[in-house]
This record gives sequence, structure tokens and C-alpha cells, in this order.
Amino acid sequence: MNKLLEVKGLTYKKNLRTILKDVNLDVESGKIIALLGENGAGKTTLMRIIVAIAKHYQGKVLLNGDGSEVYRKANIAMTDNLKGLSDSTKVGEIEEFYQKLFVDFDSSKFEQLRSFMKLSNDMKLGQLSRGMREKLEIALTLSREAKLYLLDEPFSGIDPMSRKRIINSILLWKSADSTIIISDHFVNEITTILDEVVTVKDKKIASHLSADDIRAKGHSIEEYYESLYADEGAE
Amino acid sequence: MQFQDNIPIYVQIEKYLYRQIALGKIKPGEKVPSVRQLAVDLTVNVNTVQRALNQMNTEGILEVRRGLGSFVTTDTELILQKRRELIKDTMSEFLESTAQLGLTPEKTLEELKKFIEEEKGD
Repeated sequence: MNKLLEVKGLTYKKNLRTILKDVNLDVESGKIIALLGENGAGKTTLMRIIVAIAKHYQGKVLLNGDGSEVYRKANIAMTDNLKGLSDSTKVGEIEEFYQKLFVDFDSSKFEQLRSFMKLSNDMKLGQLSRGMREKLEIALTLSREAKLYLLDEPFSGIDPMSRKRIINSILLWKSADSTIIISDHFVNEITTILDEVVTVKDKKIASHLSADDIRAKGHSIEEYYESLYADEGAE
Repeated sequence: MQFQDNIPIYVQIEKYLYRQIALGKIKPGEKVPSVRQLAVDLTVNVNTVQRALNQMNTEGILEVRRGLGSFVTTDTELILQKRRELIKDTMSEFLESTAQLGLTPEKTLEELKKFIEEEKGD
């Protein structure tokens, strides 16, 4: 396993508020990793910094040892909530848009994913249910030949069947050496597919463990995650 | 298949495959499904499946042939031995849980016999 991503001493402030403080994280290639934390813990911000959308941070973010933002943008695929597009935009038009925007976008892979997700090219964005929209976001993201994929809460508020399909698409289409980081504030939906669990708490990375190491101690991932917040419940 | 979330998944995949082999669902010398296929069937990570297969390869139950896949051993004695181990494991787990109900092994056996008789009567 090669070191893929290194985050060193990352601090990020926005409107005088510290969102991330001295965050350190090492990620290897070929993994599926959960990034867990409460709403507002800074998971999305961390992802946006990794993919070089959010700027003006302190510290280092290296992908394959390369710290340039251009390199990271070209090799990291993050889900986009497609909020910038109008409701009348068709799935096929979004695909064309992605093709122009990303050189690593693979149209044949998208066609496979699109049909697996049961989406058609003439569906309009405004017609899609929550689950279908989420499936589209995942299909677009996984269609890029990236080294690192960042899926920002892909399972929030969707039905179990859509969830199952998204999980299977990850298992079927993930290349062996790419890594997928999935953020969530709720863990037990995806525990069986995880290699590692990273938790964010109090603006920092609270822990980074192998999922089966947690289980080897007799804890479920959910119990472990809840135990991180156990002290606070008593206050 | 449902996994217990407080036992390492690779251990549970091993057990699952042992059961398939012990029950003859995958026969001696037969190829087991590909890593990716098992990952999708069981909804688990490819790395976790690989870890389970490697472990079984070390134990001699499977033979991992590079580029071809994994095959069940043709050593039927080894399979029988593994089956006996599985039975023992199941028994000791059962006795552990009855012990938690305050039953000695002897009392457990007595209760079990009674239970089987009653089931037959139904």
C-alpha cells in the first residue's frame, strides 16, 4: 500500500471562526474509509480543502507527494450537489458538461453506471427524487478516473434500496488502487464495506483506526463512534 | 448474509466460506467466486475478502492461484477436519450462552434432549 494523501498541520479559519485546527491525516491507496463526525464537525470543509476548492488554509495537503492545487483538482473527484444547475438540466447535458470539465471523465463508464443506477439521459434534474439525485452525483463522480474519491454524505436521507445500489456501485466500479473517503454522521449503513474509520471531533482528527481492529476488540463501529461522544451526553 | 458488527468481518467471511465448503456447496477442487463477486454478494470490501482468502490459503483450505482465482483444496481429510472444528466451535458457543443462563453442560444436555423431544411432538 502506498501513501496517497498526506494532510499535515492543517488549520482553517472562516469568518474568524476556527473550523479545523492542526489536522493531520495519512491515507493509503486502495482503501475505503469513513470520515465520521457530527453535523458541523468540519467534514465537508476538510474534503473541500483536500480537493483544493477551499483555499487560504495553513498547513500542507499532498497527493502522491505533490502539493499543487492543480494536481489535486485533476486527480481527486468529489461529489457535487449540482446546486449550480437549473432544474430543467437533463442528465445527458450534465454528462456533456462533466466531459468538458474533467479530462479523466470516462463516458463509457458513466453509461454503465447510469444504467446500473436506472437513470436515463433525458431525465431532468428537477424531476429526480432525493435518492435518484444522489445516485446521479455518485455516477458522475465515480466516472472520473481519479486516484482519490471524496463522497460527501451520499447516504443522508435516502431509501435503503438506493443506498444498497450506491454501495454496490462503489464495490463494482472502484479500481483496486484508488481510495474512497465517505463522510457520514451516521455510521451503521456502511460499516461492512469499510477498511478504516476516521473520526473528526473538536476541530481535529480524533482517531484513525482499522475497522476490523475496532471489531477485534469486541466493539461494533457504531458503539465505538458513540463512545467518542459518551462524555458529552452526561453533561 | 448478515454480519455481526463486533467481530472482524474477515473472520466472518472465512466462517461463511468454511460453511459453504463443509456443506458441499463449493466442492473440493472447485473455484470459489472471484474476490469482487464475493465482495458484492456479501456487501463487503474487496480488501476484506482478500484477507479472508489469504488466511484460508495459509491454512491450506484454499489454493490461491495468481490470475486464476481461488480453489478449494482436494484434500478431503482437511475439509473433514475443518468441519469437525466448526462443529466444536458451534458447540462451545452454545455452551457458553447456556452457561450464562446458569446451566451446567450436563443440565444443558438434559434440557436439549427435552427440547428436541418436544419439537418432535409438535
